[in-house]
Amino acid sequence: MNREEAKTILLLYRTPADAADPQVAAALALAEQDPELARWFEEYRVVQDTLRERFRQLPAAAGLKEQILSEQAAKRPARERFMMAGAIAAIVIALVTLGVFYLPHGEKSQPQDLSLASYQKKMTYLAARGYAMYLVTNDLKQIQGYLAQNQAPADYVLHKPLETTTATGCAIQFWNGSRVAMICFSTGKPLAPGRPGDLWLFIVNQNGIKDAPTSASPQLATVNGIITATWSEGGKLYVLGTLGDEQAIRKYL
Amino acid sequence: MAEGVDFEDLVTRYYTSLYQFAFSLTRDDADACDLTQQTFCIWAAKGHQLRDVTKVKTWLFTTLHREFLGSRRRQTRFPHVDLEAAAEELPVVSPATINRLDASQLHDALAQLDEIYRAPVSLFYLQDCSYNEIAEVLDVPLGTVKSRLTRGLARLHLLLSDKLKR
Repeated sequence: MNREEAKTILLLYRTPADAADPQVAAALALAEQDPELARWFEEYRVVQDTLRERFRQLPAAAGLKEQILSEQAAKRPARERFMMAGAIAAIVIALVTLGVFYLPHGEKSQPQDLSLASYQKKMTYLAARGYAMYLVTNDLKQIQGYLAQNQAPADYVLHKPLETTTATGCAIQFWNGSRVAMICFSTGKPLAPGRPGDLWLFIVNQNGIKDAPTSASPQLATVNGIITATWSEGGKLYVLGTLGDEQAIRKYL
Repeated sequence: MAEGVDFEDLVTRYYTSLYQFAFSLTRDDADACDLTQQTFCIWAAKGHQLRDVTKVKTWLFTTLHREFLGSRRRQTRFPHVDLEAAAEELPVVSPATINRLDASQLHDALAQLDEIYRAPVSLFYLQDCSYNEIAEVLDVPLGTVKSRLTRGLARLHLLLSDKLKR
């Protein structure tokens, strides 16, 4: 591969995840040995990052979302509403029947599980199963701004090691009606295709979790095959997770 | 609707990206709104047929793109793009000048691109889609996506460079 061929390949480079492609990896390797190519690539990335930012600055037309939702609500056919009402009625009857005949009288209904264990289980499941990134960027300040703009927890404090870890973007998850900030990082290991990160930090308001720890000292536990560290600080509950063992996560605490 | 997909959540998550994609294709606010709305309308009617929930995003972008193509009266035969030839048109925009560019100038330049380059370049900058997903949305092979992107990006940079010189 010569310099011009490497440039053609690197034109399509977007995030570190692209390095999983052998051609891109070879072009990047060449850039490490070729100062002129490295300089070109660095300048090109600055330009591309700016263009990407400008492109995404275009706001959607005002009221578009509300218009889509209201039109959809109005278009829902009467038949569908009738069927849904019938289905709800059937479920209610079934539940009442179950309550009258099978449940011991006086027993209270099962409350929604708002435990820390349940929260950890859901968040690690999301990380393991795959998720849609709401914002793809390496810029932690941009991530914080995006989360604040979208009413997700944004007044968080990152541990020093995380501040120097490559961020890959963020998403917003939901827990019992509250928004959960999900910040994704790359540990530097090759990422699986389609995976935008391999280290995840979930932040939620502490009062949304029934038995949230009160200590700022991280507690380690493996959940859904992901090693997690959980702690509370400033009214927020933090869960950091990654693949691997305790050693793998301790270096980010 | 595909199991586990809430309509409002779906709209909240994707309407801005879909609008941005639609706007880059149509260069018209009203048309972009119509396309975005139409896409969600089709989802409401046919979304339940989608079995793989992880394909929702690709489904939405694909549907929007198809609706856009369907709204065009004539079919354009696209020329074959040679990947190697694109190397001769490598970008000339410098980091020093790029900050002078605003979003509107970028969209103007994008609108000047040939239609076959505009869609992949928009999806490239939206960064919601992987290259495989872009291929699926545009219904072309992965190699074609890459060659169109290479050529499209090079042309976009030339257009931008020209704008910034003025």
